[in-house]
Amino acid sequence: MDFHAALGLALPLGIGLAAVGSGIGLGMIGNGAMQAIGRQPEAADKIQLSMIIIGAFAEALTIYAFVTMFILSSKI
Amino acid sequence: MPQASMGLDFLARVRRTSLLAGLVAALIAGSSFTLLAGLGVAAGCAWCLFNLLALESLVAGLVGARLGREHSLRRMLVGSIGSLVLFALGALLLTQLPPAALMVGFLVPFAVLVLKAGSLLLLQSPLWRRITANPWQAAVLIASIAGASWFAANGMHGVLRAEAQAQHAESTEALAAPPAQAHATSDEPAAAAEAEHAEAEGPKMFDNALGMIIKANHGKPWANVLHHFEYVIYAMLVAVILSIIFIAAARNPQMVPGPLQNLVEAAVEAAYNFFVGILGPKYGPRFVPFLGTLFIYIWAMNFFGTIPLMHSPTANLNITVAMALTVFGYVQFTAFKELGFMGWLDHMAGSPRSAIGWALVPLMMPVHLIGELAKPISLSCRLFGNIFGEDMLLVGFATLGITALSSLHMPFGLPLQLPFMFLGVLITQPVQALVFTMLSTVYFLLMLPHGEHGHGHEGEAPHNAH
Repeated sequence: MDFHAALGLALPLGIGLAAVGSGIGLGMIGNGAMQAIGRQPEAADKIQLSMIIIGAFAEALTIYAFVTMFILSSKI
Repeated sequence: MPQASMGLDFLARVRRTSLLAGLVAALIAGSSFTLLAGLGVAAGCAWCLFNLLALESLVAGLVGARLGREHSLRRMLVGSIGSLVLFALGALLLTQLPPAALMVGFLVPFAVLVLKAGSLLLLQSPLWRRITANPWQAAVLIASIAGASWFAANGMHGVLRAEAQAQHAESTEALAAPPAQAHATSDEPAAAAEAEHAEAEGPKMFDNALGMIIKANHGKPWANVLHHFEYVIYAMLVAVILSIIFIAAARNPQMVPGPLQNLVEAAVEAAYNFFVGILGPKYGPRFVPFLGTLFIYIWAMNFFGTIPLMHSPTANLNITVAMALTVFGYVQFTAFKELGFMGWLDHMAGSPRSAIGWALVPLMMPVHLIGELAKPISLSCRLFGNIFGEDMLLVGFATLGITALSSLHMPFGLPLQLPFMFLGVLITQPVQALVFTMLSTVYFLLMLPHGEHGHGHEGEAPHNAH
């Protein structure tokens, strides 16, 4: 397998794997936040804010993979 | 102006301004010419400033000696020895760094001095008062000055270019086999430069106004400058627009606010409550202007790409890195100011209070230091990646929409990018601005002395944000 083929195979796969991890993380964050809101509806605003921020962390990992793909995709 | 403003106070202001001006000049020289040129400008400016300082202390010492003050002899001594040492240093610098850059740096404080004194004189003159009395007159004057400087800059550019070409001719004669890079800068750069340009372009983006201007004037020197500073120009445009809106809202405050004032007041109040709620009433109000401006500015920059013919400045790593470095510098400055150096060191060592804590210091210190350095990297990469990724997504779906209808020879495409535009406007852009600002707030919070908060906040806050 030459360099270009390896890159062409690895880049989409890498994004997909990162998205799997991010998706699991986002699901867990949403799960925890929804349960917390269900238990304490009056704290919904604060919980939502934290949820969005931590969600951005989880999402950022996929974004890093995405940026890496764009940097490397010019080499194919 | 009163006479007092021309004294030592004036000199101190000159020093401060020329420090900043020298820093900016050194950064510009370092990034657009060579690193050595930037160093030379910085060294020249620093040399001139220290020399001025030594002279000032010498003069102050002389005056003080006549008045019979204490310490005046010591000040004189420090001043004279300091200037001697400086002359030796200057001779050393002249042999090491490019003299032209040193000269430019050396002249920066003098230019600041002359401009400052000139502006002081100008501001008092009756002519100035007469012109500024009428805003239209002032606008006409500014326009004429801008036009005159535009022509002057063009003329100077021609001279510089001729010199550069002469130099280039010499260098090509000297070099037996000039590299491809040198060819691109020679008289006929079109083909080679264009090929290089297309390669360097990277992923395809939407057209924007400045990009089209640059493409239309490809190869001209001012277009190259524009190309280098494209995103900076957009960022400044956003800043100017925001400034105009906020100045217009705050210029004539009413007891019963109009719609614009109402909007801005609501935004400022929301920002105040939000940041003070996180940072606490003691330290919060001090950081509200910085953090609130950061949030609104980033949001506006993120949104700017949605406007046709415009481009998000935050979709470029340079802009986001600059903002993250600003936050990093301010955080460290606050830490040093509030904690002191020993307090900062203590914080970096994980605040050891027990035997186990002290035993863990060699482990905690590098962890904390690397964590500090990772903060600006993760901040800038997150913002850049999200906005850039969003742009890429829009380009991809717009291309898909056009290719979907290309077999029918339609003059337009399916607007497949619209849902993602709404997603970006409603979620990605405000949330990313919020995340950037929120994390900056948390970094401030972690660095502030948290006696009354306890460590409860620190436990809540994302400690090692990636």
